[in-house]
Amino acid sequence: MVTLALIRDTFREALARKIFWVLFGLSALLIIFFLFLLRIDIVAGATATVSLFGRETRPADANVDRLVRGVYGGIATFLYTWGMFLAVFASAGLVPSVLEPGRIELLLSKPLSRTHILLGRFAGNVLVVFLNTTFLVLGVWAILGVKTGIWSPGFLIAIATTTFVFAVLLAVVLLIGVTLESAAAATMITVALMIISPILAQTSLMMRLLSSEWSRNLWRVLYYALPKVYELGKMTLDAIQSRTFAGFAPIWSSALFGAIMLGAALAIFARRDF
Amino acid sequence: MDSEYAIETQDLTKVYVSQWKRRQVRAIDGVSLRVRPGAIFGLLGPNGAGKTTFVKTLLSAVRPTKGSALIFGKAASDPQARRPIGYLPENHRFPTYFTGAGMLDFYAALSGVEASRRRKLIPEQLELVGLKEWATMRIGKYSKGMLQRLGLAQALIHSPTILILDEPTDGVDPVGRRQIREILGGLEERGVTIFVNSHLLAEVETLCREVAILDKGKVALSGKMQDLTAGKGYRLTVPQPPEALTEELRGRATSMAVRDGLVDFQFSSRELVNGAVDLLRAEHCEIEALAPTTSTLEEVFVRTVQK
Repeated sequence: MVTLALIRDTFREALARKIFWVLFGLSALLIIFFLFLLRIDIVAGATATVSLFGRETRPADANVDRLVRGVYGGIATFLYTWGMFLAVFASAGLVPSVLEPGRIELLLSKPLSRTHILLGRFAGNVLVVFLNTTFLVLGVWAILGVKTGIWSPGFLIAIATTTFVFAVLLAVVLLIGVTLESAAAATMITVALMIISPILAQTSLMMRLLSSEWSRNLWRVLYYALPKVYELGKMTLDAIQSRTFAGFAPIWSSALFGAIMLGAALAIFARRDF
Repeated sequence: MDSEYAIETQDLTKVYVSQWKRRQVRAIDGVSLRVRPGAIFGLLGPNGAGKTTFVKTLLSAVRPTKGSALIFGKAASDPQARRPIGYLPENHRFPTYFTGAGMLDFYAALSGVEASRRRKLIPEQLELVGLKEWATMRIGKYSKGMLQRLGLAQALIHSPTILILDEPTDGVDPVGRRQIREILGGLEERGVTIFVNSHLLAEVETLCREVAILDKGKVALSGKMQDLTAGKGYRLTVPQPPEALTEELRGRATSMAVRDGLVDFQFSSRELVNGAVDLLRAEHCEIEALAPTTSTLEEVFVRTVQK
């Protein structure tokens, strides 16, 4: 009951912030786009015509499956870039807001542990993003499935990977939130982690380019320590395209990073005076 | 709840250390207080005396550097120790996305009140504090006094046995204050322990049976209200006497005040006031009133913190 109340409170606060409505609005727009504006005519398993805003085009590559997977890839990329950025931006204020004087004392006066309070906020926030991602991915998947008859389950992995990466990044937001109580700092640092991820992913290239051993070691440490947002995105695209991927290291290393960040946030929150 | 005391602190000390300059501030220093179940206890002190820090240690929002704080015998740091507490913070900031009823529902759920019971309790509590008509209105629209009353309803909704109130009548109009006093009076009859942290001395004097005055982080004075305010004296009120006699009486009195053509002389003993009466009668002056006086809480407070 208490956990549910904390999750509902986070949910309510998130919905009171307009940026979460922007996220849902963008998802709804994409769904409407696929529902009403994109028409795909299929003849014998291949695309005969693709109609967009009523104008018909005949794609050079008439393979329906490839077209659908391309759309899925585009949606997954959208989720990974703008969707994730907006989600982090919107979530960054949810921790400092609960730590405001006059609000946190009242929460702490209730018979629940500090760990419970922070995890409730974490879970509520993840749930908001999970629902939005599910709404978008399931919506597009169902519409394209009905329109093309292709039900590729690989795309549904985007729900899990997007929510997972968001949860890892949210752990960073939480840590910065309880330490600095600054939504701006939380956004900047988390977005920096997202930006640096594709750069760090060029490890094999950098090992050749970097001249000194210590700089190569530094690169490796950063690569292995920080969350692998880029690789996880790539894994999602591979799943959509039914390609095999190298291994699960990006998942467990990112999970480990997230767990450490969350653990540190909980430890700091448990010790702080308010 | 078989402990002898509702609240018990022993040598409670909190030292704040600034991170960069390593400066230390002793917010509370060896505070030992005991509040009996069912008491209405007032905590007083000048700004910066450590009142808020003390209250926060009771709620475990602040970790003590030394000493212990117990709620009905349980360490305040144990979340279960806070189950019987209802708390109204000073300068509260309730989330404005709530409606009045929604806010009560949230905090009651956190206090462990079942959903079915919440549905019954919320309208009752809103009616108690005179906000029933505002139940579905977002609290962003509430006035400060209304928020204060809603805060009190929040503190009461789970039927606490200890009520900790930080400036409970702050921002509330006189009618609302009386209403709050009546609510607290009802709680006293039900045996609820009420701990009030306030700088409104008249309010505390009306409400509390026991007080403690904190000064520079230490308990400077504590005891029953009637004992602390039982400073003996007599007030003699007379129509303006001749100038020479006024000077004579001023010399014998501890204080003199003129109001509406009358003069109040305050004497510290029966002998002095009788001597003054003899002087006035010898001069054929009339006496308006003569009454024994006690110290006001304000006088006790000022004497204590100015020592």
